[in-house]
Amino acid sequence: MAQATATAEAPGAASTGGTREVKVIGIVCNWCSYAGADGAGTARLKQPVNMRLVRVPCTGRIDPLLAIKAFEKGADGVLISGCHPGDCHYSEGNYYARRKFELLDRMLPHLGVEADRFHYTWVSASEGARWQSVVTDFVTKVKALGPRQGRAL
Amino acid sequence: MTHHNLTTFLKRKMPDPPGSRIGVCVKGCDSRTLVALLQENLIDKEKIYVIGVPCDGVVSRRRIEKAFNDEVVDISFADGKVTATTRTGESQEFAKDDLLFDHCKSCRYPNPAYADDLAADPVAEPVDQTPMWAGLEEFEALSPEEKDAKLAEVFETCIRCFACINVCPVCWCWDQCVCRSRKPALVSQRVGAKENLMFQMIHMLHVAGRCPSCGACDRACPVEIPLYLLHRKMNKELHEMLGFEAGLSLEGKPVFQTFDVNDPLGEH
Repeated sequence: MAQATATAEAPGAASTGGTREVKVIGIVCNWCSYAGADGAGTARLKQPVNMRLVRVPCTGRIDPLLAIKAFEKGADGVLISGCHPGDCHYSEGNYYARRKFELLDRMLPHLGVEADRFHYTWVSASEGARWQSVVTDFVTKVKALGPRQGRAL
Repeated sequence: MTHHNLTTFLKRKMPDPPGSRIGVCVKGCDSRTLVALLQENLIDKEKIYVIGVPCDGVVSRRRIEKAFNDEVVDISFADGKVTATTRTGESQEFAKDDLLFDHCKSCRYPNPAYADDLAADPVAEPVDQTPMWAGLEEFEALSPEEKDAKLAEVFETCIRCFACINVCPVCWCWDQCVCRSRKPALVSQRVGAKENLMFQMIHMLHVAGRCPSCGACDRACPVEIPLYLLHRKMNKELHEMLGFEAGLSLEGKPVFQTFDVNDPLGEH
C-alpha cells in the first residue's frame, strides 16, 4: 500500500494535468506477472517507461481499494496482472480476485474514471513477450486519454 | 412501514443471560441484511427471534418533512393516504405512492427471506421479477468528466459524520474500521471530496456481497448524499456479472467469499 501511494504521488502531479507524462501503476503477483515482467526486462524487450510496478504475493491479496487509492492519489492508469486462472501459485487466489476486479472494472467508469484507464489481465512467468504487448497497449491507451485531473477520484 | 432497518441494532450486543433471545422485526430488505449476517456467522441464530413483517413499501419521512416549515409529530396511514401533522397542528394529506422510496416501488422481495414468525400474511410478490435499479439512469448517462464533477460536488458536502456506516446493518467492523486506520492510510484526515469519496468506497466495497440496497444509509445521511448511486450500482453490476443478490437464503455465500472456476467473466 505504502508503495502504491508513494509511487503515484509526485508533488503537484495530480492537479496539474496538462502535458506531463502519464503515470501508470501496475500491481502484479510475485509468481507470474512479476516474473514475466522480469523476463521481459532480461530479454531486453522494449517497454514504455510510464509503468511503476508494485509486487504483491498474489492477486487474491489485491484489494480493489488499492487501485481506487492509486487513482485518488493521481495515477493515470492502473494495470493488475497475475497468474492465469487455474495456474495460481496458491491454487485459487486469482479466482477470488477476478470477481473483485470485474466489479472494479465495471464500477470505475461509474466513478468518473474512463474505462481504458483500468485493466486486469493474466500474464504468466514465461510470457515476457505478452507482458511487453500488454504494457505497451495499456500505456498507449492511457496516453491517448492523457493525464487525469480527477476531482472526486 | 418502519423507516429503520432494525437489524442494525444486532451489531451492538448479543443477550447476556444464556438462553435469552433478542426479538427483531424485519421487513423484506431488512431480512436480507440479517440473512447476509447469518451467512457469515456474525449473528448467532439461537440468540435472536425474528418476526417477519411483509412490507408494502416505506414512505420517505424526509419528503413529508420538506412539505412543512415545522416539526412533524404525527404520521398516520389510511387507505393509500398518508396524513402528517405538525407540532402546531397543521396537517396535510399525501398520496402514499408519492412518498414511497423509488426502490420500494420496484421491490421484488417484500416478504422476509428468513423469519421465525410472520406478523401478517405474506404480501403478493410482484409478477415481474426483472430487477429494476431505480434512479441510476440519469447518472449513468453522464460522460466521465460530468460524473467526476457531479461526484466532487456531492461528496464535497459530506461531513464524514459516520451516520451511514453506523446505521448500516452489514457494515460490521466498528472501531477496527480501516477508514480510521493510519496503516494502511486509506483515508487521510484532510477534508475534501477525494477523501470523502474514498471513505464511501471503503464502505461500498466492504459491504459488497452483503448489501441488498436497503437504503438505510441514504435515509441516515444528514446532507442527503445520494449514496444509492454507489450501492445500487454495485448491486446492479454484481447481478449482471454473476446473477448475485445478497442475503436471499441462509445457504448462500457472499459473492467475494466464494468462487466458481467457470465464472462467466471474460478472458482479459
